[in-house]
Amino acid sequence: MPPAIHPIDLVDILRRHRLTPAIVFLTSRRGCDEAIDTFIHSSAGVSATHSEKIRTFFEQFAQNFPSIANHPLISVVQDYGVAAHHAGHLPSWKIAIEELMRQGLLDAVFATTTLAAGVDFPARTVVISQSSVRKSQDFMDLTVSEIQQLAGRGGRRGKDFVGFVVVTPSPYIDLHVLGKGLTGQPEPINSQFVVSYPMVLNLLNAHSLDQITGLLGKSFAQFQLNQRAAIHQDRLDEVHEQLTPYGPRECVDWVAQWKVFDLARRRKAHRRPIVNTDSPYLAACLPFLTPGRLIGLAKGPAIILRHYRSKGTGTPMLSVLYAKGTMGECQAQRVVHIYDHVYEFQPIRNIPWCPPSTLHQFKAILSQLPTRLPTVPIFEATHEPEDPLLTEIVTDEFACPTCPSHTACKKDVALVSRLQLKAQQVTKTIKALRDGLWHQFQQKADVLHKFGYLTAHLELTVEGEWARLIRINHSLLITELIRMEAFSGMAPELLAGVMASIAHDDDRPSSYMRLSPGLASMLKQVRHVGESLSAYETAPLLRSDVAALAERWIGNTELSWASLVHSTSMAEGDVYRLLARTLEFLSQIYGLKGTHPGLADTAYRAMISMRREVLAELP
Amino acid sequence: MNDENLKLKLLSLPVKYLHQFAKGRIHRHFRLGKRQLIDCLLALSPDQKKAIVAELQQRAPLSTKPEAESTIAQHHSSFYPQPSSPHPDSPGATSPSINLEDLLEGIGVPEHAPFIPDAWQRHAIEAIAHSDVIVSAPTGSGKTFVATEAIKQAIASNHTVIYTSPLKALSNTKYMEFSQQFGTDQVGILTGDRRDNAQAPLLIMTTEILRNILYDATSGDPDLRLHTLGLVILDESQYLADPERGVVWEETLILCPPDTRLLLLSASIGNPQELAEWLTSIRPSTSCHLIRHTKRSVPLRGIYLHPAGQLVPLFENRDIQQRKGFRFHPETKRLFKEYEFKSLH
Ligand SMILES: Nc1ncnc2c1ncn2[C@@H]1O[C@H](COP(=O)(O)OP(=O)(O)OP(=O)(O)O)[C@@H](O)[C@H]1O
Ligand SMILES: [Mg+2]
Repeated sequence: MPPAIHPIDLVDILRRHRLTPAIVFLTSRRGCDEAIDTFIHSSAGVSATHSEKIRTFFEQFAQNFPSIANHPLISVVQDYGVAAHHAGHLPSWKIAIEELMRQGLLDAVFATTTLAAGVDFPARTVVISQSSVRKSQDFMDLTVSEIQQLAGRGGRRGKDFVGFVVVTPSPYIDLHVLGKGLTGQPEPINSQFVVSYPMVLNLLNAHSLDQITGLLGKSFAQFQLNQRAAIHQDRLDEVHEQLTPYGPRECVDWVAQWKVFDLARRRKAHRRPIVNTDSPYLAACLPFLTPGRLIGLAKGPAIILRHYRSKGTGTPMLSVLYAKGTMGECQAQRVVHIYDHVYEFQPIRNIPWCPPSTLHQFKAILSQLPTRLPTVPIFEATHEPEDPLLTEIVTDEFACPTCPSHTACKKDVALVSRLQLKAQQVTKTIKALRDGLWHQFQQKADVLHKFGYLTAHLELTVEGEWARLIRINHSLLITELIRMEAFSGMAPELLAGVMASIAHDDDRPSSYMRLSPGLASMLKQVRHVGESLSAYETAPLLRSDVAALAERWIGNTELSWASLVHSTSMAEGDVYRLLARTLEFLSQIYGLKGTHPGLADTAYRAMISMRREVLAELP
Repeated sequence: MNDENLKLKLLSLPVKYLHQFAKGRIHRHFRLGKRQLIDCLLALSPDQKKAIVAELQQRAPLSTKPEAESTIAQHHSSFYPQPSSPHPDSPGATSPSINLEDLLEGIGVPEHAPFIPDAWQRHAIEAIAHSDVIVSAPTGSGKTFVATEAIKQAIASNHTVIYTSPLKALSNTKYMEFSQQFGTDQVGILTGDRRDNAQAPLLIMTTEILRNILYDATSGDPDLRLHTLGLVILDESQYLADPERGVVWEETLILCPPDTRLLLLSASIGNPQELAEWLTSIRPSTSCHLIRHTKRSVPLRGIYLHPAGQLVPLFENRDIQQRKGFRFHPETKRLFKEYEFKSLH
């Protein structure tokens, strides 16, 4: 929404109080353009000598940047000493306005809040008339940092004794947001790290898995995650502290034992697990088959390292360490004895499921076990809990009723199991925080393996070798298209059209433009592939109008920039950005010249045709 | 109480009370401005409105009458209808109690003074000679000077310098600026498809390009003199927190060779200390030095400009400074309330 004050009144007041030059921040490009329009035919003009200086400036500037020589807005700037500056303009126009501002030749610039950070664009006064900006469909309050970036442009070092922030209201403004933004502490910044496909390929190209773990661990993301994990670790230590008085009693994990006993006593059936094809005996064993438990197998004793269900059949499985020191997988039902020994350790997500030191320690334990070990009695769940006989028989098998710890167990079990549950949850959280990035990495690596860019041992395949050079958004889609030879024999303008539609991620509406039939069918195919990959990578918008625009610019080198821009309702600056981004995408394809010479050559030809007029002005 | 009366009543309340009414009734109410809040509150079901009226009546009796009459022009849906009649120095244009002279005192251009670096600039330049440095200083305070001095030092000791910015536009500006300062033969620029003067000791590029170069470093790039890379400058490094591109800054910092000095320039952020601790922890060969400067070089004053033309101080304190809590000037509060009332009718 525009400010309630009329732009001419605003500039008039600023001029009268010597508050110029000023930057007036507005929410929309349209607001900026219309503000400038209101000056036309008004009496708010600048003096003839001032006007002449601006004219000379533009004349000289156009020698380096011919694209602005006939810019329609020059006359307003010359006559009224005001200008608009936003992303809808060409870079050259923005550079000109910035330079005019530096030379003190403008009184006011109407700019959107997206005014690029870091552009040296200061003024005596900054005018703010809004407290929120549009961010993807939604209006969001400006952050303290954003407000300070805007306000910070007021007051030029060496040119002003003092700078000003002028707040003038517009509908929906929230004065408090501005008050807080102007005086508050800027927000802390947080990591936005995500693992991408190109990152995985490039890391694996040059580093071993160990090194990669190290590199991921060096990220700011991990640094911040570790800080959070440390807080949880303190909580965990506290819980362990509280648990210390409740260590082993007559049996080692008396809590589990008591719970089963209690269940039997109360004649309650086990709640059946969701995947329940387990025999009642097995189901009764499962609560004991946890990592660290000592068990007896046909081959001899072993320690459980992890328990899981097989992906296909859902059979409960164990990863175990055998007495002879080797590791293996076995079905839970093959467990012969469950011993009353649990060794605590810190499980990890990958082979060998525990830290190397633990493995070492377990091997030592296994090599010197006594021959007779106490076992845990297993109470089989039953579906006829009403049978009093069964309960009697079963409870008889427990030592609990006569155990010396009976009273203590009964008293403590509720508290201790609550603490244990908490410890488990906190441990899980800590693990998630510490391994989160590595987990992300593995997920991406799995996908790359599935598509054949990586071997099962996470080495780059021939495909992976070149695919790692595509380091842009939608890289998976692009490399898949290349592999299907979707681009083979394609004309440069078609390739550019496709790349433009993949590169452009703005859904600002623009007018429909005619596509060549070839490009239309190509886009259809790309859309199809994009959708089929949508589980692994968000599909691009694939707008056909931007594809057509790029096709036209590259296909017809006689076409002038003015007529290209004339043929679309997109703003000039947006067309420029679209083509500049397409150029970047094409240059990545050109980077494949070693493995895909034909395709690289097409990309190169597209780039050459693209670099003309405005697009040749800046590097 | 009918909607019209309720609206009037709500209008006369400070916005924080409206948020209290909206709590639990309007999704994400804290995102809304006063006017939107009132619209949403009025759109609630009759029952909910009844509850609000009840809550309202529990409060101390409130005046429903807004204070002063205003001269704000009515706004139509189109942008900018007519400039209101010019009112040069008309008596209504200033509020009586306001001392405008004090507010606007001292406007002007200082005489040209010799360039004397600030203490924080000197400290940063000294520190970069032997350690990584993060400079966190407000917009326009002179971070570029630190960068150029560091570049001079590095070039003098025959090192290559890479300067990155998040935006091509900024890269272009810096390319022109540095070419003027160091001479065109000393400065190169790299983009996705173009390499101008890639053998120069000072190379300008976007952060993405540097990240790519670092990924390819193992395969070697004969075009660039990376073996002598001595300094990497990351301008506008608060982009590290950009949702889409921030990851590139992290990749760059992680992959940067350990014996290359890092200079991070950033606008004010809340936790530069944390960033410095992080860099220190991942680059054990040196510690990262934080230069934090929060005071603006040119004082900044807040003004409230009423749509009818009055200029009044925005805050009770004339100069804007970082502080806990703030107080708007009473006249600003009065005029703004008047504006809100007018603009809603
Ligand atoms: N010590 C100084 N004395 C006087 N003027 C200075 C000093 N240091 C820098 N300046 C001037 O301050 C202006 C702003 O400096 P610069 O562009 O480096 O700001 P910045 O900190 O990079 O801001 P931004 O966050 O906007 O990038 C320049 O015109 C510069 O010449
Ligand atoms: Mg800067």
